[in-house]
Amino acid sequence: MLRRFLQHKMAVLSLVTLMLLALVSTGAPLIEGLFGLDAQAENLFHRSQPPSLAHPLGTDEIGRDLLARLLHGGRVSLAVALAAALASAVIGTIVGLFAGYYGGRFDAFLMRFTDGVISLPLLPLLIVLAAIDLSKLGLPDSFTQSENVSLYRIILIISIVGWTTVARLVRAETLTLKQREFVRAAVAQGATNGRIMRVHILPNAVSPIIVATTLSVGNIILFESVLSFLGLGIQPPVASWGNMLTNAQELIWSAPQLAVWPGLLIFVTVIAFNFLGDGLQDALDPRAID
Amino acid sequence: MLRIVTNGSRAMALLLVLLFATPTVAKDTLVIGISQFPRNFNPNIESMLVKSYILAMARRPFIVYDADWKLKCLLCVELPDLKNGTAKIEKTKDGKKGVAITYTIQPEATWGDGVPVTTKDVLFTWKIGRDKRTGFSNIEPFERVTSIDVHDDKKFTVHVSKFTCDYRTRYSIGVLPTHIEEKNFADPTQYRIKSAYETDTTNPGLWYGPYRITEVASGSHIVLEPNPTWWGKKPTFKRIIVKAIEKTSALTANLLSGDIDYIAGEAGLTVDDALAFEGRAKKNFDTVYKSGLIYEHIDLNLDNPILKDRRVRRALLHAIDREAISKQLFQGHQPVANGQTNPLDTVYDPDTPSYAHDPKKARQLLDEAGWSVLKDGIRHNAKGERLQLELMTTAGNKSRELIQQVLQSQWRRSGVDIRIRNQPARVFFGETVSRRKFEHMAMYAWISAPQGVPRTTLHSTMIPSAANGWSGQNYPGFAHPAMDKALDDAETNCDPAENRAIWKDLQRVYAEELPALPLYFRANPFITPKWLKGIVPTGHQFPTTLRIEDWHAAK
Amino acid sequence: MIFRYTVERIFQSLLVLLVLSFLVYGLIGLMPGDPIDLMIQSDPNLTAGDAQRLKAIHGLDQPLFERYAAWLGNAVQGDFGYSRNHRQPAIDVIGDRIVNTSVLLGLSLILSLAIAIPVGIYAALRPYSKTDYAVNLACFAGISIPPFWLALLLIILFAIVLGWLPAGGMMTIGDGGIIDRLHHLILPVVTLTIASVGDFTRFMRASMLQTLRQDFIRTAQAKGLSMTQVVVGHALRNAMLPLVTIIALSFGRLFSGGLITETMFAWQGMGKMIYDAILGNDYNLALIGLMFATALTLIGNFLADIGYVWLDPRVSLTDRERSQ
Repeated sequence: MLRRFLQHKMAVLSLVTLMLLALVSTGAPLIEGLFGLDAQAENLFHRSQPPSLAHPLGTDEIGRDLLARLLHGGRVSLAVALAAALASAVIGTIVGLFAGYYGGRFDAFLMRFTDGVISLPLLPLLIVLAAIDLSKLGLPDSFTQSENVSLYRIILIISIVGWTTVARLVRAETLTLKQREFVRAAVAQGATNGRIMRVHILPNAVSPIIVATTLSVGNIILFESVLSFLGLGIQPPVASWGNMLTNAQELIWSAPQLAVWPGLLIFVTVIAFNFLGDGLQDALDPRAID
Repeated sequence: MLRIVTNGSRAMALLLVLLFATPTVAKDTLVIGISQFPRNFNPNIESMLVKSYILAMARRPFIVYDADWKLKCLLCVELPDLKNGTAKIEKTKDGKKGVAITYTIQPEATWGDGVPVTTKDVLFTWKIGRDKRTGFSNIEPFERVTSIDVHDDKKFTVHVSKFTCDYRTRYSIGVLPTHIEEKNFADPTQYRIKSAYETDTTNPGLWYGPYRITEVASGSHIVLEPNPTWWGKKPTFKRIIVKAIEKTSALTANLLSGDIDYIAGEAGLTVDDALAFEGRAKKNFDTVYKSGLIYEHIDLNLDNPILKDRRVRRALLHAIDREAISKQLFQGHQPVANGQTNPLDTVYDPDTPSYAHDPKKARQLLDEAGWSVLKDGIRHNAKGERLQLELMTTAGNKSRELIQQVLQSQWRRSGVDIRIRNQPARVFFGETVSRRKFEHMAMYAWISAPQGVPRTTLHSTMIPSAANGWSGQNYPGFAHPAMDKALDDAETNCDPAENRAIWKDLQRVYAEELPALPLYFRANPFITPKWLKGIVPTGHQFPTTLRIEDWHAAK
Repeated sequence: MIFRYTVERIFQSLLVLLVLSFLVYGLIGLMPGDPIDLMIQSDPNLTAGDAQRLKAIHGLDQPLFERYAAWLGNAVQGDFGYSRNHRQPAIDVIGDRIVNTSVLLGLSLILSLAIAIPVGIYAALRPYSKTDYAVNLACFAGISIPPFWLALLLIILFAIVLGWLPAGGMMTIGDGGIIDRLHHLILPVVTLTIASVGDFTRFMRASMLQTLRQDFIRTAQAKGLSMTQVVVGHALRNAMLPLVTIIALSFGRLFSGGLITETMFAWQGMGKMIYDAILGNDYNLALIGLMFATALTLIGNFLADIGYVWLDPRVSLTDRERSQ
């Protein structure tokens, strides 16, 4: 399995790239310290500067170091994407598992529900969800007015709509696995439903879940960056690659590099996740045709 | 075979040329870019900056402030005045002080379809304006007019129930054409939907100005052409196209490519964007920065224990260097404000106490206020509480975010820890500010009128609360008897000398108490191509398009 | 059998639309700052009394459920309400917009297929070769690139640096001829195409590979036909049929992608209309726009399912259900 994965050159390259990105992003504060950069220090005398010794990639529209902001933005974008992907996977797995296992009317209902969610126009719906005012929901002010609420919100709304692929996959796997010998044996031995699902079915469904989740991260990053770009996602001054592009839009002539870097990083990350997922699919799930 | 090839390549070349040649438009058409498409066209329903901008080309209010900040009659013949009897103080039925104002409509004022603008239209507009179901935005002028005497087709007198010094501009309502709109008012609740301004915007009978609207492409553009019934100076441009482009980058891109000729100063770019643009396109464009009555400030929540102390408020203002911000960020084009009254205003008092950048004084005041313990560079009081304040503003507004960053670092130098938190405008204004949910500081702008008395923002009865249904705009929660008195007097005492003294008091109290930290007066950049002449920026909310007939292309 | 299935699907779809309408109505109701609150900021003469009165007139002070019930009652009779920001009945606004979006999506679909089919076939005929890898890389690149960034780059390059193409809009006012419109179509269509061509190409390749593995192909080759003849004569038709279902399924996704492209290029289409309506608190329009988009997706899915069965007679409708 590992050998098959290693044969997929792009996937390996992607994995390395992603790990590097993750490392560098998480270590953003360290790197800042090492190079003497500061993502938050504004300097009105150095607005939108081209690259220099002090600022390896130049500065943004307020004079903050671009490299440092990209790193912090990476942290946020990656963390949000992974959290949302994980949350979606969990929800999807639960739905798919229960639907496939219990079958019958329950299954039919859950699948109709899943179909319903799939048919919704994603982006407009995300826009609506991202634009609502949380205090009208009755949530406490200490939460709605907190600094990181935009992060939680993005993770939540993406999870609400992103679980459907995993759900279908897991359901299909569960249906197949249900018929297998070892499951029937467990049933005959009197194992509880919960135990069967947990111990027998779930571990065998892991491969497609991993593949689907990996492939979904790319999409999630795209959604988060679009929402942040539109001003509905991660709110400044918290940096995310998407919202770094919002202001860069206005400066595309005077400082085009501000628009190039964040977008490029999004692109590289997404394509890396896609290749990684593709490689994993080849390695773990060779039944699927290409 | 060869012939096919050469013919083919010739055709190809032609196609390519056609595809990539930029279309040019003759100079008797002017294409103006604005940042938003108007939501509707009825002059009295829903006020919107871009709408007044466009409508000013096709209709004129009775009385406006001109570019010299002097009152001028556009639809009327002479300015009503207490001195010559065209305005008379009178007693109302309940014994209060009212005023009777006489207006004469321009004798040649005619709707675009040939029907003259008469007092009948004034009566009609007043009648439907008073009706609460109609949906007019600002109903106060209509309600205060208790009756109208019609002298003839052009002359009428309105009887106003409360005399205020701004009596001339306050009742300058936007007349509607009775012969077109009357039938649409059959069901008052449906008027705003059925109004011809919405259903039949290109009807000539709706417009009486130098231009009339001849084409509307919803969300995209509006076309105006000269109105033959206009009585004033004939306009020069044969066609004016107003294009709505929401993205600033697209606005400037279109300007550079020639797809639009001019970006509306009042409704286009911010100073920031204009400065960036200027750097690259100097040779074809002139830029004029006109500062105006848009007051950028920081409201302070006066209920907060930290900000209750006046010394802290004063210290905050001393600690920041607004001059430097103005120079660095706006190259000096947005003058520092010392209070909410603009220096261009006649009631401005230059002797009002002001707060120079004085970090030493700031530190002294903070020490006095009990914030004297320094830990990690941040001040604490004797109880160990941290001097930490939250600064909020609208997200996505580059200028404001820039200023926030600078203020944060400047305040830090005086030991104040600032946390920045921004929200989209809809949340910020819709909830946080309007319901006074901001904990410490809220940064935004007020638009005011010349000599406008800031009653709703400073009077103690105007503090929004759950009890009064969140009405009022006194978001800081300012309640000061001297200010209340000054506000009441300023509206009613019109004697120039006394009025001046009242305003002097008003500004003094504001400066001493600081319910808000004054920042600067926002400027509008007017980027005109070198061939476009005649645009005179005003600095107040009466747009430059009120003199559109003066605009012309230089030979 | 098909009839019953169709009826079932219609019923389900209506249910989805109903639930969606309630959900979206509620969500939009949770949006802060109706335009009236915002008006206070920009109009120095507006009093608080005015604001309250205006809210009452627009019915914004009634509880959400009542407003929804009123809306539903009207909707069932065909009255979908009045668009605040466009000053027309909401339905009327959609008319023009659909045409504009269809033009954009239609052209980009044609372009995508025009590229995807030949390239996909080509790659399938040389699997795991250098060309194949290059094609694969290009496909992944296309689907990974953030569409708004792509739009921005294209605008920078072609409108600003080179000045060849307009930076946005549907046409130059006063012109509107075919050339002018084509001018304005190029960048948005290219943006949309780049985003969607990757998936189509990969699918075409996979489908072709699968077809080539089949017995009848080997039979044809055994008969002595050249590769070209085999491909064109036999494999092509079989490989392209599943493409139809993919196209049907992509109706909905094109909508999401279309929204960003339309907004970036100021294209007056459905996507931009929905976006503006949501953020402009134009309840009625946003609602009907979203429902329309959902309905299209539902129809697309339905057609795809029917198509799947029709193309592969071995699969029955119930199988299709189970495998999902």
